Amino acid sequence: MKKLITLASAALISMAAQAGDFPERNITTVVTWGAGGGTDTMNRLIMGEMAPKLGVNINVVNVTGGVSGSAGLVDGYGRAADGYSLVGLSESNVAAGVMGGWSNRMDVFDYFIVAGSPDLISVSTKTDYKSIEDLVTAAKANPGSIKAGAAGAGSIHHLNLLAFMKGTQTEFNFIPYDGSAPSQNAVLTGEVELVITSLAEQSQLIQSGDFRPLAMLVKDPVTVKGNEIPSALAKYDDLNQYLPISQSIGFAIRKDAPKDAKVAIAKAFTEAMETEKVKTFLDQNYYVASGQFGKEANATFSKLEALFAWTLADLGAAKVSPDSLGIAKPN
Amino acid sequence: MQDLAHFFISIAQLLSQPVIILVLFCSTFMGIIFGAMPGLTATLGVALLTTLTYSFNESIALVSLLAMYVGAVYGGSYTAILLNIPGTAASAATAMDGYPMAQRDGAGRVLGLTTTASAIGTIIGMLFVVLLSPLITKMALQFTSFEYFLLALFGIIISGTLTSSDLVIKGWIAGLIGLWMSTIGRDQLLMYPRFTFGNPNLDSGLEVVAVLIGAFGIPQIITALRARVKLAKPVRIKRVLPEFGTMLRNLPTIIRSSLIGVGIGAVPGIGEDIAGWVSYGTAKKFSKTPDEFGTGLPEAVISTETSNNACIGGAMIPLLTLGIPGSPPAMMLLGALMLHNITPGPMLLIENPNFIIEVAAILLLASVSMWICGITLARYVTRILEVPQTLFMPVIGLLCVIGSYALGLKIFNLFLMLPIGLLSYFLIQMKYPIAPLVIGVILGPMADTSLRRALMVSQGSIAPIFERPVSLALFSIIVLLILSQIPWFKSLFGRVQREISSKFHHSH
Repeated sequence: MKKLITLASAALISMAAQAGDFPERNITTVVTWGAGGGTDTMNRLIMGEMAPKLGVNINVVNVTGGVSGSAGLVDGYGRAADGYSLVGLSESNVAAGVMGGWSNRMDVFDYFIVAGSPDLISVSTKTDYKSIEDLVTAAKANPGSIKAGAAGAGSIHHLNLLAFMKGTQTEFNFIPYDGSAPSQNAVLTGEVELVITSLAEQSQLIQSGDFRPLAMLVKDPVTVKGNEIPSALAKYDDLNQYLPISQSIGFAIRKDAPKDAKVAIAKAFTEAMETEKVKTFLDQNYYVASGQFGKEANATFSKLEALFAWTLADLGAAKVSPDSLGIAKPN
Repeated sequence: MQDLAHFFISIAQLLSQPVIILVLFCSTFMGIIFGAMPGLTATLGVALLTTLTYSFNESIALVSLLAMYVGAVYGGSYTAILLNIPGTAASAATAMDGYPMAQRDGAGRVLGLTTTASAIGTIIGMLFVVLLSPLITKMALQFTSFEYFLLALFGIIISGTLTSSDLVIKGWIAGLIGLWMSTIGRDQLLMYPRFTFGNPNLDSGLEVVAVLIGAFGIPQIITALRARVKLAKPVRIKRVLPEFGTMLRNLPTIIRSSLIGVGIGAVPGIGEDIAGWVSYGTAKKFSKTPDEFGTGLPEAVISTETSNNACIGGAMIPLLTLGIPGSPPAMMLLGALMLHNITPGPMLLIENPNFIIEVAAILLLASVSMWICGITLARYVTRILEVPQTLFMPVIGLLCVIGSYALGLKIFNLFLMLPIGLLSYFLIQMKYPIAPLVIGVILGPMADTSLRRALMVSQGSIAPIFERPVSLALFSIIVLLILSQIPWFKSLFGRVQREISSKFHHSH
């Protein structure tokens, strides 16, 4: 009898563990970028949908600053590995290591990628550039004279610009801005001729006729309200060596977090990705849903880490050499 | 006309839902608390409410976010008036006259004035959103990097000119110290580390909130404890009167300050912080009694509070017409709207033309609720001053510590706040004003990156300053401001003025 009770209770305990006690209390997500930005908005959205599935509240806080959002990475990674702390991040965080912001590699986390929006090159409708060929021809005639705006050195948009210049053998005068919005504003004021930001950020200005989209920096063309934006990769074959560099917005959990926590979060994440609200949001704002997690997502971030690290090192902007961090050069 | 009808329908619709009214008042109240607490900012408040209102419908979310914004911009004036410690950078200019006036006439009177001025400012800002959005958008698009640089420089110089009780140059020196402090950290264009000494905590530069609290809070605590001064006259008041008579007499100031507020709010990237100072300076220029500024003048507090609240409407204009936020809290608002499937930008007005009217209706309701909350609250908050110094100041000290830590949850901010506080204390003892230092830290990064970016664009030429109308105007104002303080220029200018006026008199 006694044995039976022990057995039964042991079974019960293991069943409870199986069913997963996680989460027993509220979860906190540390977003590494500022309030109201793309990463912040995406995290508030997905956390808002995951919370009811997990049956607890998820608090979203912003810890910004450092280099490449390193302050938030340090803070988020510094918290207990119990699964109750998540880190909201994007592809641009992967440069934190080489920029001297934190001493870890990106593989200390497991990633969940919600979505990304493809980058494109646009000009003001007041300029004479009607196609990407016009722009490339003009740039070749006068190297370094055309002003190209994008978010600051080492951002994904800057990397896209560098890749475009390499692939088309052109040279632009890169003017860095504090973010995508100010760089787009600079096209409107006429301070720069072209801008590289994501389709999510440009869609309104394209539809209103303020921006003329010249080319997508991904493999496939994209249609915005009936008008097709061609792919630059289809027109300049060499670009395929360097592009696409895909934006990946989502969140991460410490790799050493308990397995049941990771399973519970992965389940809630998958369900949240299927909700109408998330789908509508991504659709309306020209994001491409990802839903990657586990090995696949980790591989994406590992690739991004190598790409960002070595591009910055080549630019002379990296403070720590990628070699010393053990980041292999991408081929 | 149709718009007007829709405006009233929107208001009626909002008011017919009790839950909206509840949310409106709660959010405004929370906003006032966020504004009044040093360290808690409007941006943080809006971010917090974005998460809280995630599962509610769009109009509840919008009401709570805008009410929070309006309340927080107004709330900063509480601590500025009562303690001479501005709760937000936006209310630093309010402290200039608000604090001495509270000591002389009692805090109740000042709060009555600022509450009404803030409400009027918000409403005028709202009117501009509805009536002149396209025009103001066009104006804001005149601002390229050179203009941003000159505007930032102008902000630092004007606050230096206005705040110095001793030599004006001392104000500029304080401003330049602030400008230097703002260069600490990675430079934002090329990520090059400057004055960081390898300390990663300094990579992102000095945290503005820690500087704000250190520079204003610590010296005030030390001074109060050393001198054992009474904080302000604890005048027992039954209720706080809005003083409509005084408001009416200051109508030109109100209108001028609102225009300044809307204009500055509409330029992307800058907002409430600088609007207060520009409006204070302009009010002084136009005043019949410019020498009395700084001693507690009603028109001074009215000018600053009207303009920083008018900024809200201004900041909404580029947000709604271009999708570019005009101020940091507006940036958070952009994210919140997107979560509710509203993407601010040029298409918004085409696809949903009534949206701007709804925003205007909510802003009107928010300013009314802010006014009611403010007038009711003022009666109670003035009693804080009856708490004995020896008990009160340590509490303020504790709040300073919590406030610096709360934003970003960084212990390093405390190590930053204390030395800046001590430095500020000694600067104040040597009769250096401290506000320009803080403004320097706030506007420094804009001045620095804009100038360098402008030179990248022009490939090293400074000629565009003289070729562009807005930058030429700003440049001339700055040069005049500086020249007007140089003795020989002053006497020359005075002589010319006298001669002209005497000739003028002769001919009559």
